Amino acid sequence: MGSADDLSMLMKPESPRQQEIKEEYGLNVKLLPSNDQVKELQTILRDRNTTRSDFKFYADRLIRLVIEESLNQLPFTKTTVTTPTNELYQGLKYQRGNCGVSIVRSGEAMEQGLRDCCRSIRIGKILVESDADTHEARVVYARFPEDIAQRKVLLMYPIMSTGNTVIKAVAVLKEHNVLEENIILSNLFCTPVACRSITAAFPQMKILTSELHFVAPNHFGQKYFGTD
Amino acid sequence: MTFRLVFFRRGAMPVVSDELYVTGGWGDRCEDDRVFSSDIACDEDNDVIDMYAVPQSPPPPSPRPPSTGSQKSPRSRRQRTTSLSQSTKKTCTESILRSHTRTIYTAGRPPWYDSTGQQVEPFVIGICGGSASGKTTVAEKIIESLDVPWVTLLSMDSFYKVLNEKQHDLAAINEYNFDHPDAFDFELLAETLQRLKEGKKVEVPIYNFVTHSRESRTKTMYGANVIIFEGILTFYNAEVLRMLDMKLFVDTDADVRLARRLRRDISQRGRDLEGVLKQYCNMVKPAFLHYIAPSMVHADIIVPRGGDNTVAIELIVHHVHTQLQKRGFKLREKLAHSYIGQPLPDSLHLLPSTPQICGLHTLIRNKETPRDEFIFYSKRLIRLVIEYALSLLPFKEVIVETPQGVLYEGKRCASEKICGVSILRAGETMEQAVCDVCKDIRIGKILIQTNFDTGEPELYYLRLPKDIKDYKVVLMDATVATGAAAMMAIRVLLDHEVLEENIMVVSLLMAESGVHSIAYAFPNVQIVTSALDKEINEKFYVLPGIGNFGDRYFGTEPSEEC
Repeated sequence: MGSADDLSMLMKPESPRQQEIKEEYGLNVKLLPSNDQVKELQTILRDRNTTRSDFKFYADRLIRLVIEESLNQLPFTKTTVTTPTNELYQGLKYQRGNCGVSIVRSGEAMEQGLRDCCRSIRIGKILVESDADTHEARVVYARFPEDIAQRKVLLMYPIMSTGNTVIKAVAVLKEHNVLEENIILSNLFCTPVACRSITAAFPQMKILTSELHFVAPNHFGQKYFGTD
Repeated sequence: MTFRLVFFRRGAMPVVSDELYVTGGWGDRCEDDRVFSSDIACDEDNDVIDMYAVPQSPPPPSPRPPSTGSQKSPRSRRQRTTSLSQSTKKTCTESILRSHTRTIYTAGRPPWYDSTGQQVEPFVIGICGGSASGKTTVAEKIIESLDVPWVTLLSMDSFYKVLNEKQHDLAAINEYNFDHPDAFDFELLAETLQRLKEGKKVEVPIYNFVTHSRESRTKTMYGANVIIFEGILTFYNAEVLRMLDMKLFVDTDADVRLARRLRRDISQRGRDLEGVLKQYCNMVKPAFLHYIAPSMVHADIIVPRGGDNTVAIELIVHHVHTQLQKRGFKLREKLAHSYIGQPLPDSLHLLPSTPQICGLHTLIRNKETPRDEFIFYSKRLIRLVIEYALSLLPFKEVIVETPQGVLYEGKRCASEKICGVSILRAGETMEQAVCDVCKDIRIGKILIQTNFDTGEPELYYLRLPKDIKDYKVVLMDATVATGAAAMMAIRVLLDHEVLEENIMVVSLLMAESGVHSIAYAFPNVQIVTSALDKEINEKFYVLPGIGNFGDRYFGTEPSEEC
């Protein structure tokens, strides 16, 4: 209970929904454990009548939850610490050597959430643009920590409707020698199509999303940054 | 001229124990850093300002205001409904420091409920007697000698009926009968006294003797260990009579009463002899003969000569002490040692344990963690706890339109009115998170501190949103060990008529015994925590625990040497 006495406790039984997803998309796709509160956040973000200020507020809350859950995917080791009452506490600790990478522009909305959890984490950026004529996604900018190849990478992108942008971005990371299994993709809303094409392209990458739904709320970036 | 011995109608007086009372003082040794100060006089933002701890003003200086018929000085009357706490001059100077605008308190309210969270019924003393018989003096003497931290003094004068225009004109020429039972609103009086007896908060009207109506403001009062109710017709209403645990009649000779009344009304109220006499003969005296004197048969004790009768007062105090002893107020130790090995209650909601939560606990429990990391990781954990707590509120299904043109089946929170209440000091650390999660949420505060001498929690201060009874309340404290402070806070909320099922206690860390105590006393209160530890040490710290969360967060730990 709160301590790492038995790590099996931490691997809580999976919800039926999670099991379905495993069967359909593979072991590396995880859904944010849902509850009414998460559902409310998703509802507010989906609602066309939500004001911009509310939208940003509730988006930030959902992002925070997704980031916290993404961090749960990182590896940890057991440790024992002494509490101020001079008792021992069986806990666990995380390894160093993680970093975040956001996909410009909407992925940047998630940077603050990551900062709020990991104060001094390094954050890289990738800009992927779709060609106006061919609609093909191409990378126009990428800047990473130098040693990114040795790091676990938390890739942030909130909305995936086709998955093309993310596929390009991951390809760039792999060009920088990041191991596919070291990438955790943090996402708010994902369509089944996108999920399938990404898992097909990168079966080793972990994907965490808060919702799999056939319609993606594509207004996210515009409404969050106020450019609609 | 009659002479009367003090006599008792009820059983004999048992022996008194000196160790009975939890006194409010902190003692000298820790006064400096425990002093709590607050502005008591202002009501600037319409919140309910509640001062459990202390009188808002010193007990009204005698002589008392005229009991009836005066058209002046509503101000001095107002003070008569204040909740009094240890009105003796000695304790006043010890526990209350006053300057012209601020009042500083060093003593809090000890528990007024038992270990099951149930209200311990206060002891209600009714004091009756003719006008100017010395009822208030007797009440004050009793309060002084009782030396019980919490005494509420309620005066019948607060319950005069609102006069219509015609009655108002009569009052102006001394012809309205303020001594007749019809002049009082017994219905409101009985209701108020009943609520006080149940320990609930009440709003006592403030009667304005110039306009003969109730002021829009009211005086907030609370139930207490002892409630004293005094007035000329205290025994008149059967319902009120039934609520009195002890009935005193102050029997002062009529000529003494008339003499006092003349002196008071003429020299202090600037009224003429004729007017006072006319009122006395036509109304005060007949009312005494018809309504007040006959009610003497209800009295348990008749006190001749009023406040000067020290023997009578000593006997009364003795009896009240014995009665209070029977009711009992010791809490914390009892809480810490029950429920060992019981299954955990259903009302407990433990956060689903994840590696992150465990990792955060590891960081904040480690005594080597520097403060800035401690604060940072505490905040992260608090945020998760608050998010989880909110997910336990009721939700309703909704369908919304999306910009993509499809309908989306979602959920929205079913309760609009949610407020946070933090238990100072450590609970305050959770306020930011609740504000970050709920837009424009109202936040109340309750200050509860442990009395070092008795180990009991004491209530010092509270400030709650108006209409808190309509809200779902997220009650926040960083850690719960015995549960004593949380129980006191819950009791306060219940006294403010918050529904038990609308309360949720939220903590980072709880001890099992604390969870059991809260769940046993308040089975409908939801309990939310991110970790549960098994034990509590003799200082009531949770083991292995987190140390003193407030001290570590705010940087007020005692230095290593001591």
